[in-house]
Amino acid sequence: MKYGIAVKLALLLAAVGICASALTGAYSYGVSRSLLVESSQQSLVAATQVLGRRVDTSLEEIARNLQVLANHPSVRRTLKQPDPQMNAQLAELFELMMQANPAYFQIRLISADNFGLEQVRVDRLGPSFINVPEADLQEKGHFSYVSETLQLPSGTVYMSRITINHERGVYTGAERPSMQLAMPVRDTDGKALGVVVINLDVDGMFALLATDLPLDFRLFLANGQGDILIHPDHSKTFGFDRGRRVLLQDEFAATRSLVTGATSQVVFQQPTTDGLLQPVVMAFVRQPLKLRSEEGQLYVGLAQPLSSVREGARHLGLLIMISVLGFGLLGLLGTLFLARLVLRPLRQLIAAANLFGRGQEIGYLPLDRQDEIGELARSFQQMQRQIGEQLGSLHASQEQLKQMAQYDALTELPNRRMLQDRLDLAIARARRHGGCAAVLFIDLDNFKDINDGWGHDAGDAVLVAVAQRLRLSVRDTDTVARLGGDEFVVLLDGPDTERDAALIAGKLIDCLSPGIPFQGGTLRVAASIGISIFPQHGITAPQLLMAADRAMYSVKANGRGGFGFAVLQD
Amino acid sequence: MLADWRRLLTTALLLLSPLPALADGVLRVLAWPGYADADVVKEFEQRTNSKVEVTIVESDADLWRKLNEDNGANFDIFAVNTAELQRYIHQGLVTEINTAAIPNLTRQLPRFRQRQGIPGLVHGGKTYAIPYTYSEMGLIYDRKQIPVAPDSITALWDKRYQGKIIAYNGGVHSFSLAAQVLALPSPFHIGEQQWPAAVAQLIALRRNASAFYTGPAESVALFKERRAALMFANFGSQQLQLLKAANVDVGYAIPREGALAWLDCWAISRGVRDMPLATRWINYVLDDMPGRVLLQRQGLANTTSPSPYFKNTARIVWLEPAESEERRDKLWGRILAGDRAGKVLQP
Repeated sequence: MKYGIAVKLALLLAAVGICASALTGAYSYGVSRSLLVESSQQSLVAATQVLGRRVDTSLEEIARNLQVLANHPSVRRTLKQPDPQMNAQLAELFELMMQANPAYFQIRLISADNFGLEQVRVDRLGPSFINVPEADLQEKGHFSYVSETLQLPSGTVYMSRITINHERGVYTGAERPSMQLAMPVRDTDGKALGVVVINLDVDGMFALLATDLPLDFRLFLANGQGDILIHPDHSKTFGFDRGRRVLLQDEFAATRSLVTGATSQVVFQQPTTDGLLQPVVMAFVRQPLKLRSEEGQLYVGLAQPLSSVREGARHLGLLIMISVLGFGLLGLLGTLFLARLVLRPLRQLIAAANLFGRGQEIGYLPLDRQDEIGELARSFQQMQRQIGEQLGSLHASQEQLKQMAQYDALTELPNRRMLQDRLDLAIARARRHGGCAAVLFIDLDNFKDINDGWGHDAGDAVLVAVAQRLRLSVRDTDTVARLGGDEFVVLLDGPDTERDAALIAGKLIDCLSPGIPFQGGTLRVAASIGISIFPQHGITAPQLLMAADRAMYSVKANGRGGFGFAVLQD
Repeated sequence: MLADWRRLLTTALLLLSPLPALADGVLRVLAWPGYADADVVKEFEQRTNSKVEVTIVESDADLWRKLNEDNGANFDIFAVNTAELQRYIHQGLVTEINTAAIPNLTRQLPRFRQRQGIPGLVHGGKTYAIPYTYSEMGLIYDRKQIPVAPDSITALWDKRYQGKIIAYNGGVHSFSLAAQVLALPSPFHIGEQQWPAAVAQLIALRRNASAFYTGPAESVALFKERRAALMFANFGSQQLQLLKAANVDVGYAIPREGALAWLDCWAISRGVRDMPLATRWINYVLDDMPGRVLLQRQGLANTTSPSPYFKNTARIVWLEPAESEERRDKLWGRILAGDRAGKVLQP
């Protein structure tokens, strides 16, 4: 297949166009991708902040529950005067509260007297609850959640650090991450009667808080010192409890500024590490706690797989690619069309040049265009005109040369060469059609005398006049040639008898008899004619000429002004 | 000629090869607070091109639990007092130490060099532990609240200081204290008949105490926060140093019943992976720098120089193996949880 300039131009234009749009696409993909990643990082930060506030809110909710319990009249009454029946009722109340709050491991009422003896204690035991019997109740006065809470003003909440609960005698929640929230119960005169303590299931609380997060999100929690408490890799949690602290700022260097207090939130990308199966985007926020707490603040973090962040970007990339390809294809078709349109005048020029090359009429040229193509057309026309003129003059000189090569300059009769050609042709024709041809060799008898006596001008005038008369005396199809000097040959094409030739020879002799006028006088010339006939006297041009020449000499030898036939060959 | 070239090439390659490839062992150290501070560890890591993983332990019960996990396979070397060491030896949790590989033993004071003279270090001619640091467990008191130094451990039970006492959360030592108060013949042997009295004594201690600590740093924080009057110093001079550093005006008393004293040693776990590295650690901690850190920063005696803290004149009761560490720990767990006597003494 031949690819025209239109296709090439179109491909080139389309390639340039596609490159440009691909570059634009790539650039906008890059920009949009970082914008997308940035915006999803921002929304991750926002989600983490929300989570952090929820933690605070949940703790406040626990504080409200503690308030309800601490202000319950029965609580105060049974602390002052222990009453088994009232304790049983309180146990039911605790149970109801624990039912409503699945993250509560345990609720207790502890008296300030009796070294912090527990008065009511309800433990979660699987799906049910256990109201711990009196004999199993313990003295908790030496635990901070009792001794420190008793020092607090009414309505204030004590919040312990988040630790692994090693306290013996606990049913659910032993050796599990937990924290205690407690509130003092004070008499109307302000005397501390006891404390209400809620044991909180930390993992459970955070699992509840994180329930509406996407499944592939991971939750992180660290205490005020940076000790990791929640991490997908459990071996990294509560390191301090095992004698090897695992700190947030060591695990994720980007959180250092958060822990030192320089920033209140960080977001960063984390390559694969233990417990994180794939690269993630992580956000951490510092969550100050409104409640009085030994922790003071917590660090809450969320990790989102980078792949899900990039999913949007990938989708966008696909869209951009499709549109680049689609528009590229459209552009290709468009440029093909445009290129054809642009190239139409060029095609016209090409057609004109082709026609010109074949010597035909060149047809329409876009001459009136004002652009380069118009200029080209005009130049082409100019060139074509010049070439035409030059060709014309070339033809003329060619004709002249031909004339000079084939005709005698003086008489304008065919010369020997042309006679030769015509004779060959006549022989060939006669051979093909079974006809014959006759050669009449003419020599002027007294031409030398005229030349010598009257001069060359007279000789030339005689030759020209003889030539003219000979020509007038034969048919147009016959050839009269001058061989040189005063020798002429007449080739008769087509006579089938010697009589025709003899007739014409006689006619030729007769046409000279009036003489030739020259400078007021008349010059007398006669001719001797030898005739040879094809095929009788020869079958080739030289044979025929020689036979006719010989016959002419025989005539000349016999006397003047006659003709004779060649002798038949053996 | 060819051999020369080859030698040259080998030398060049040796010079070019990175040095860390030569030693990249990991040493898993189980130690008490202050025994393997970050700078001490870093120096060792640099010297030996190794990686040290330090796990901190704050009670004998915890140490026992950790060493028993996987038969000691999780640690190479650990610090333990001479009395506790005995149950590790009986259990086969420790391995003999090649003392010839520890040139720094010659730096130790004569009484530590004579290991045969220290009960429990050598069994059947095999050395199982190298002494490292020691302290008596005296009483730390707030000079403002207790103007005259307490002369008896019964001060811990003194009702005047109820809610102002900080005690140690450790079963074996607590029962030894109870035995001392009960004036038993040996604090390390509680007879079958004497358990109820000892338990009652410790429940009384609990009722008198404000809090129980495990680590030295925690004890200092509690002492300050609770404005405590008196504290049983399980870590001895180490706690005293920390409190003084925290600008707390405290005194230190050795009770007339005698202060229990411990001598902590380095022992090598049967699960040791890199014995030469573990031995190098022992040699290293007997060096000048770690010894100075122990003495100056931690307020603890070392074995290479005389201690400014330890009073030879005072009455010292060196720890001995208890009749049953397990029983003491079990009962202590119940006592600490707040159980009352009947419940504590249940089988």
